[in-house]
Amino acid sequence: MSDSKAMTVLRANLWTNNPIFIQILGICSTLAVTNNLRNTLIMTVGVTLATGLSSMTLSALKDLIPRKVRMIIQVVVMSFYVILIDILLRAYMPDVSKQLGPYVGLIITNCILMGRAEAFAQANRPLLSLWDGLTSGLGYMAVLMAIAVVRELLGFGSLFGIQVMPQGFVTWTIMIMAPSAFFLVAMVMWWAKSVQAKNTAGDKPVAKEAGK
Amino acid sequence: MKKDSMLYVVVFTFIVCAVFVFVLALANQGTKDLVSANKEFATQSAVLGAFGIPFTDKADAAAKYQSMVQKVSTTPPQSWKATIDGQNYIAVEQAGPGLWGTISVILAAQPDGGRIRGIRVVSQNETPGLGGRIEEAWFIGQFDGERTNSGKLVMKSGAEATGGADMDKENGIVDGISGATRTSQSFGIIVNAGLARIMAGGTQ
Repeated sequence: MSDSKAMTVLRANLWTNNPIFIQILGICSTLAVTNNLRNTLIMTVGVTLATGLSSMTLSALKDLIPRKVRMIIQVVVMSFYVILIDILLRAYMPDVSKQLGPYVGLIITNCILMGRAEAFAQANRPLLSLWDGLTSGLGYMAVLMAIAVVRELLGFGSLFGIQVMPQGFVTWTIMIMAPSAFFLVAMVMWWAKSVQAKNTAGDKPVAKEAGK
Repeated sequence: MKKDSMLYVVVFTFIVCAVFVFVLALANQGTKDLVSANKEFATQSAVLGAFGIPFTDKADAAAKYQSMVQKVSTTPPQSWKATIDGQNYIAVEQAGPGLWGTISVILAAQPDGGRIRGIRVVSQNETPGLGGRIEEAWFIGQFDGERTNSGKLVMKSGAEATGGADMDKENGIVDGISGATRTSQSFGIIVNAGLARIMAGGTQ
């Protein structure tokens, strides 16, 4: 793995090809978990690990997988890691597991996992695929955490469950409900795309992922 | 063997599935005891909480549960009894529909249903920040020591709710959560159903 290639991947996944505001993947979970910073953090760490590890495994197996059952194998590998995360959470962090409820299992339906497996792990070496999966997860995490800060602050008046707004602060009920995430995601996209439109000259998208 | 031949596809898929499932089964087996211990602690702490018995940690909770609480009914829905400061109490596990899913609570009260001892939420899927607040101390705390009107409690909900907690322990009224009318109503129904079961001895 050359440094420049790793940097290109990092840059693409965090900014020029961010899973949320460019690829528009994983929006369901964005709506569901971002009203609470703690849940968002755990969920995004789960997605990051699951994406990285499943991309690495699929990349290592890519020469052995028959084309006919490619997707089946991908789903098997992804669900393997997701269920593993679920089992570990239930055993070692029961409170968190209870709070997240069905969301952990739903990581498997997060399109980022399948997206990275199809778009990147198919054509790259295992270590670089692991890096790609992890950085994709980071790009996802960055956006979700930003949204969660706004939603928890306005919806509950707290950050990570610690009250920060003054006593008399009237909480915004809409921020707790899913629709507010739609507005916020749209605003993030708007901001990111306008910034990117201004300095497109410098950025070159990673060729392999163009059009994804 | 050709990669696209039927035999290769079948054998490969079989091996991959077998290997991954085997590892998962191993992980599940390895953490089984820990998971069931966590589950047991969750139930014990909810029962102790409803009875108002303080505990410091997992071991303390297990010890106090062993020494102070007796099971009345072991088949679900479970029930327990305990004597605290010379007064008998019965606790029942009670579940009912909420707004989004089942709300499950453990409710402790005097055997005649005259006064509630306490209540703990075991599981719920209500709207976070609205109905989900039924787990918060200010809401749960309203039930501690509340007198009932011959075994019935009134849950104020909707326009009647003041948005704060009802601190009067003698009026048999608890305040619902403003913005979560349906959840509050459901919670009231569950509590009253639980009271009825306690008055029947908690054995059904």
